[in-house]
Amino acid sequence: MYRKQVRRRRAVLALLVVGSFALLTITYGQGSNGVQRGVSTIFSPVQSVADRALKPARDLINWFDKTFDARGKESRLQSELEVARKQAVGVKAALAENAQLRKLVQLDRGGAIPGGYQPVTGRVIARSPTIWFADVTVDVGSGDGVKLNDPVINGDGLIGTVSAVTPGSSQVALIADNSSAVSAKVVPVGVQGVVKPNVGDPGDLILDFIDSAKHVHRGQVVVTAGWRGQGIDSRFPPNIPIGEISRASLEEQEAQQQVHVRPYADLRELDLIQVLTGGWRG
Amino acid sequence: MILTRKIVVRLVAIGLLAVILQLSFFSQVAVFHTSPDILPAVVVSLGLLGGTMTGAVSGFALGFLLDCLLVQPLGGGSLVLLAVGYLAGMFRERFEIHSPLVPPLLCMVLTLFAELGFGALALMLGVDSAVSTLVIRDLLIKSIFAFFLGWPIYLGLRRLLRPALVEEPIVRPRSGRRPSVLGA
Repeated sequence: MYRKQVRRRRAVLALLVVGSFALLTITYGQGSNGVQRGVSTIFSPVQSVADRALKPARDLINWFDKTFDARGKESRLQSELEVARKQAVGVKAALAENAQLRKLVQLDRGGAIPGGYQPVTGRVIARSPTIWFADVTVDVGSGDGVKLNDPVINGDGLIGTVSAVTPGSSQVALIADNSSAVSAKVVPVGVQGVVKPNVGDPGDLILDFIDSAKHVHRGQVVVTAGWRGQGIDSRFPPNIPIGEISRASLEEQEAQQQVHVRPYADLRELDLIQVLTGGWRG
Repeated sequence: MILTRKIVVRLVAIGLLAVILQLSFFSQVAVFHTSPDILPAVVVSLGLLGGTMTGAVSGFALGFLLDCLLVQPLGGGSLVLLAVGYLAGMFRERFEIHSPLVPPLLCMVLTLFAELGFGALALMLGVDSAVSTLVIRDLLIKSIFAFFLGWPIYLGLRRLLRPALVEEPIVRPRSGRRPSVLGA
């Protein structure tokens, strides 16, 4: 009797392990499948309600964390403010010049969101619990016009792309996710590269494959490159802010062709986002 | 654990609640820049209360639901949490839990194991990016969170599943004692 029980236990365990490996083999690299779409469709309203109900408690805990953090940031922000004030004068002049140039080439689109894109506003309702995947679930899906690979932004800049869609929700792979790669350029120098994550540290991205002959400096802005070629286009529209260069040592630029970027968006604490639907895509 | 229909319903409800709470609350809360992960602690508690099979099956089910909701490759979360549940169950079957520190300590150790497991899986599936050293800090902080959250989770689940638990005699003959951890 005991032996029979042990044998049954082992069989169940073996079945579960084999089942896990089989699921992994079958579903790896497929994006979303029918089971996941079904479960997401059922659970997204529940998650949405839970997200709203738990928001006050979440905000309270995050407030404590931010208060501790703010004390350390205060002195750094003051020195940054002085630098920013000096830069603002130059930026105003550049903006005036830019407006004139835009009129000249008829590129004025009148906003940060490129023409042809329809922003769909959503809210983050779930987030991956492990540090290895930087994914969030948002409460807008194919029913709202969201499609696979649509770029996603928030008030600060680019945050990721849509990696899976269900009728009522979408999965967004953040730019800090290990699957992310964004073609980007440094302005005003125009150096191009690929923004890749530094897994485990969403406050530090890597601008890789840059031209080592052109040097970039700390504080320069990184935006999406948004290139278009014959038959193949970037997933991202041009000039969406990503972040600014936080570390750019000459050794790293010349030896590894990379610099570090601090994203404008706080990827740890996301709430309201916008999915840019429509537009051109590859 | 004696599995009646009522208890199975309770286990399913516990699993659903745990996953929804994790995704909608704990994953979006940052303390010291790290979010707590309660799922390994829930699976460890179920394994400690119900044994290897309960631990393994609940780990598999929670992992499957997590992968479905996060639209990740199915099977990864199941495999890791299955191992966590099985190890917790095996601990329960091999040793006696005399000290109240055992469940939270086990939650801490097995949360670290689960996070390393998720990491190993991510690396095996091909992480083509640099990995920050901050990962180590996050792993340790997550484990510490698991220690503090493990105890209330274990007590709460024991209370919820009390009718199904097999009570063991408090006094045993000296010759029949099983090895114990952190206790006399």
